[in-house]
Amino acid sequence: MTTVQARQAGRAAGEQTRARYPDDEGHVEREGVRVFWERYGDGEPTVFLLPTWSIVHARFWKAQIPYLARHFRVVTFDGRGNGRSDRPEGAAAYSEREFAADALAVLDATATERAVLVSLSCGALWSTLLAADHPGRVDGIVYIGPAVGLAPPHPERAVHSFFEPLDTDEGWARYNRHYWLRDYRGFLQYFFSRCLTEPHSTKQQEDCVAWALEIAPETLIDTEQGLLLCGLESFERQCRRLRCPVLVVHGDEDAIRPHAQGAALAAATGGRLVTLAGAGHLPQARDPVKVNLLIREFVESLGGRVR
Amino acid sequence: MRAREPDADGFVDRGGVKLHWERFGHGEPTLLLLPTWTVVHARFWKAQIPYLARHFRVVTYDGPGNGRSDRPLDPGPYGYEEEARAAAAVLDATGTGRAVAVSLSMGAQWALWLMANRPERLLGSVFIGPAIDLGLMDGDVEDTFDEPYTSTEGWARYNRYYWLDHYQDFLEFFFAQCFSEAHSTKQVEDAVGWGLETSPEVLIAEHAGPEPDGATARDWCARSPCPVLVIHGDDDQVVAPRHGRALAEATGGTLVVLGGAGHIPNARDPVKVNRLIADFARSLPATEPR
Repeated sequence: MTTVQARQAGRAAGEQTRARYPDDEGHVEREGVRVFWERYGDGEPTVFLLPTWSIVHARFWKAQIPYLARHFRVVTFDGRGNGRSDRPEGAAAYSEREFAADALAVLDATATERAVLVSLSCGALWSTLLAADHPGRVDGIVYIGPAVGLAPPHPERAVHSFFEPLDTDEGWARYNRHYWLRDYRGFLQYFFSRCLTEPHSTKQQEDCVAWALEIAPETLIDTEQGLLLCGLESFERQCRRLRCPVLVVHGDEDAIRPHAQGAALAAATGGRLVTLAGAGHLPQARDPVKVNLLIREFVESLGGRVR
Repeated sequence: MRAREPDADGFVDRGGVKLHWERFGHGEPTLLLLPTWTVVHARFWKAQIPYLARHFRVVTYDGPGNGRSDRPLDPGPYGYEEEARAAAAVLDATGTGRAVAVSLSMGAQWALWLMANRPERLLGSVFIGPAIDLGLMDGDVEDTFDEPYTSTEGWARYNRYYWLDHYQDFLEFFFAQCFSEAHSTKQVEDAVGWGLETSPEVLIAEHAGPEPDGATARDWCARSPCPVLVIHGDDDQVVAPRHGRALAEATGGTLVVLGGAGHIPNARDPVKVNRLIADFARSLPATEPR
């Protein structure tokens, strides 16, 4: 009889094993803030997976990287505030201009002349700004569940103040700075249960909560205030300046950002809208095969545009 | 919706009890994915069929009592010998000369019977979490199945009267034990759904069907020349891993222990299990044409 131990029962503390490890990685420093990037694969063109809100870091692309890196060159980085990037203090450090400038610095640091951008949720703000200001560096944009103010938010999310103390902890009342400081994990569990509304999302929720515990609630408050500085007017102007092809992917059961926001972004950019039936706010995690195929098909459709 | 639809299907009639089989793919050798306990039907192999059918010919069927098979309420069709003979009848009906048997849990009884009594039909046998008593199970559980239940906690729910009163609750308990791994909500939901396709009356009839005793099972192991692979999760909460180890020892087979895995690793570690099955099937001496 032979005995084979097929899998380790317990994993070492720290990061989970990955299906695919980067071929190159490094930090790029800009105005004293270091952000951490990774590169996978050597295909053409480069697909640039942007950060989203710093409540999570670049591992939220874990279901995209191994597949896309078999076909393209993939670059990603941890947004400032989480992962292996620095955590500067103050809301001003987390404006969309800072994220877009970090993204440009990562393009330079990885010697990436041009790329197709892929952004999730409020990553839409930085992908749009980067493409509007540097059209020569961007061949196309994929927006997944874009968090853009082109259509009204869900009504239940517009009830409670983020800044003022509240007399309730129910539902979206937990999206409140005082609650974050009081029960950060409780907020995270609620928030990601609303991000991942599909049945059988326990693994994805567990992943996201763990990543979010890598940023302190005080820093997350800075990032939230930084996002609140982003103006709708300037975003609409940026959209009008876009010249590249656009694909918008939005779940029709997105409980964080209404599908109408994705539809409005597709209309504003002349892009194609793909509606994912039954999908919530993070379809790249819950419908990865569908999302990966959409990204690949979009990238390949750019054909001659891409060098 | 399925990832892979069968290329052919049909029924075998066993003394008035119709059993539904399906065939997938055309490769060699044939893998016979056996039924297990009547609480589920052949869809419990859903994570194996699409992969294995790309490399091998795959035959599976619903055992009596679930799926598209009939649901007899007498114990006869559920006895181990009739279950095993039904498997051989499916081989006949699908024109399968020899096959690699793949069994889960109590499907081990029928696989082992075939190994000992129809050795010419089997090229090899893969056991996953085998529920077969080689004489080690005495005293494992106090058998109060037929007595009115006095508790509704834990395994006290493995009781005919409890099943009649609270069938779905029993199913949810049982499959929570089967799937001890984190993030098994989908697999539990699937299995409970399959359990609801049969009835407590059917499971009670099944329970009355005879099972082989330890001496008989040991004799089958000793008689069989068939190559064996045993896969057992080290966190199996339904059949302790020592039973898989004992079966591997008694058959001279290979034991693969899956760290952190529960009773149904084919559903929770499908890639690992599929590759183990494929590697085993390829390792066997070439089969003659069917």
